[in-house]
Amino acid sequence: MAGKNKSISSQAKAVAERIHCLRDYLDLLSEHGQFIKWPEAVMPEPDIRKIAVASGRDSMGAPAIMFDNIRGYPGRRMVFGVHGSFSNIALLLGYPKGTSIKELFYELIGRWGSDKPLIDRIKAEDAPVNQNRIESDINLYDVIPLYRVNESDGGFYIGKANIVSRDPLDPENFDKQNVGIYRIQVHGPDQFSLLSVPSHDMAHMIRAAEAEDLPLKIAVMIGNHPAMAMFAATPINYDESEYGYASQMMGSPIQLTTSGNGLDIQAGAEIVIEAELINNKRTLEGPFGEFPGSYSGVRHVPLFKITAISHRDNPIFENIYIGRGWTEHDTLIGLNTCAPVYSQLKESFPEVVAVNALYQHGLTGIISVKNRFAGFAKSVALRALSTPHGLMYLKNLIMVDEFVDPFDLNEVMWALSTRTRASDIHVIPNMPLVLIDPAAEVPGKGHRLIIDATSFMAPDPVGADSKLVMPPSGAEIDELARMVQELQRRAEKS
Amino acid sequence: MSCPRCQAEEKHCRLEHEGREAGEIIWKVFYCQRCAFTWRDSEPTESIDYEKRDEWFQVDPDQPDQYPHNIPPAKLHKNK
Ligand SMILES: [Zn+2]
Repeated sequence: MAGKNKSISSQAKAVAERIHCLRDYLDLLSEHGQFIKWPEAVMPEPDIRKIAVASGRDSMGAPAIMFDNIRGYPGRRMVFGVHGSFSNIALLLGYPKGTSIKELFYELIGRWGSDKPLIDRIKAEDAPVNQNRIESDINLYDVIPLYRVNESDGGFYIGKANIVSRDPLDPENFDKQNVGIYRIQVHGPDQFSLLSVPSHDMAHMIRAAEAEDLPLKIAVMIGNHPAMAMFAATPINYDESEYGYASQMMGSPIQLTTSGNGLDIQAGAEIVIEAELINNKRTLEGPFGEFPGSYSGVRHVPLFKITAISHRDNPIFENIYIGRGWTEHDTLIGLNTCAPVYSQLKESFPEVVAVNALYQHGLTGIISVKNRFAGFAKSVALRALSTPHGLMYLKNLIMVDEFVDPFDLNEVMWALSTRTRASDIHVIPNMPLVLIDPAAEVPGKGHRLIIDATSFMAPDPVGADSKLVMPPSGAEIDELARMVQELQRRAEKS
Repeated sequence: MSCPRCQAEEKHCRLEHEGREAGEIIWKVFYCQRCAFTWRDSEPTESIDYEKRDEWFQVDPDQPDQYPHNIPPAKLHKNK
């Protein structure tokens, strides 16, 4: 992905260099009043859910919240909302809390390709994650205070883990190691299911392992470096390492060690679950309240068996509330969704100023662009629809002037109110659309909506008022044309 | 007791874990071995009472074909 190769500021570097794990980030958040401990005992359900929904109302300022007194789970603790607000993200990127989303957006764009991947290797015996290890009588409930996220979920979910796996056909290749976020449903003390979109790396690996009767070993990392949570979900090429990418975005090294089953894991992770695919076995998974704000259905999904658990002393279960927005999920992936669309659009149209694709993974996008001439913004909208993300996600597009901040909804509403004509609204029927859109008439196919809310522009003036060239004409020119032909004929014969 | 989601009998409901404080049981977690539902007996009734649960969320383990495969097992491919 093309970036401006801006270097990371010294202040951002200082922040990045002190953060090696979740705990370091919680310390930073705490220093700025962005981390609180819930003062009372809570029931796993419905208290955690209610508090998560309530804190989700403040997308700019909500703190991370820790529970260390969960009924029936004495001594266990969990945290959510770590990436739950733009102020938390601002602190991670070296900015003060309250920084505008637009500034954070430009910071992220500027960081692309700004440094080399940086990996620090930590000996397994020195890695904090190896302070405790369980290899027999494995019971997830002893380590993790599991609970139901939304009231009609099919079970207890782990929603913010980084899952690392290696290509079973090429297990020695570091670059073919995939780190992704996949939802995990617990199916007993030592089993869980993992849901991967069929086109994702994990699905390729599952198919390969089952087709060739090979073992597929994975490590589920919980309570991670805050950059890993943000960037492991960013789509990058199959042979690029997410660890490398996250370290580039932070401008400081990611500390890795080797798990008991031979995978590269974060040395400072809170909990690492080592597991192996049970080849060809499936279990019912779901429903799960997902990010569009509706429940996914029940499916048959691959099942994994836990072989060991490593964890830090007094481990922290980091989880996420997902459901009908605004939720932590929106803040976590929002800027990373905007950035590639912007970068791809900018290559074709330098007039593009910013892209807001924060809402429901970009089902609604707002693009700020300097109109070159009448209708220009609409052409930019059509290009946005053909970017890799736009192809399936950008369902509603609102085009605004270059002086409108697309992240400031008051400004966007001004543009909609004062700049939109009914004739500048366009519907493109029967377009491809991501399956999870609950408004689709047929899953996978739907309409696209473009609202041109940019200011009036005159048509391109080139040619509009031009003086016509009046070439010479008449008998003299006819005679000269005949002469040209005659000379050409003579040339042919000679 | 039966499964709140599919009404499977008690013998299919596996006790997963007991939440304890000072030796006293605070709650129990169960797992339905027929429909793969997990629940805690301390949850609100909307989640764990079959009568109060929204019908949309019922699962019929006797009709497995109703539920699509996310990634079909390779074995099925080979048998075809
Ligand atoms: Zn059941």
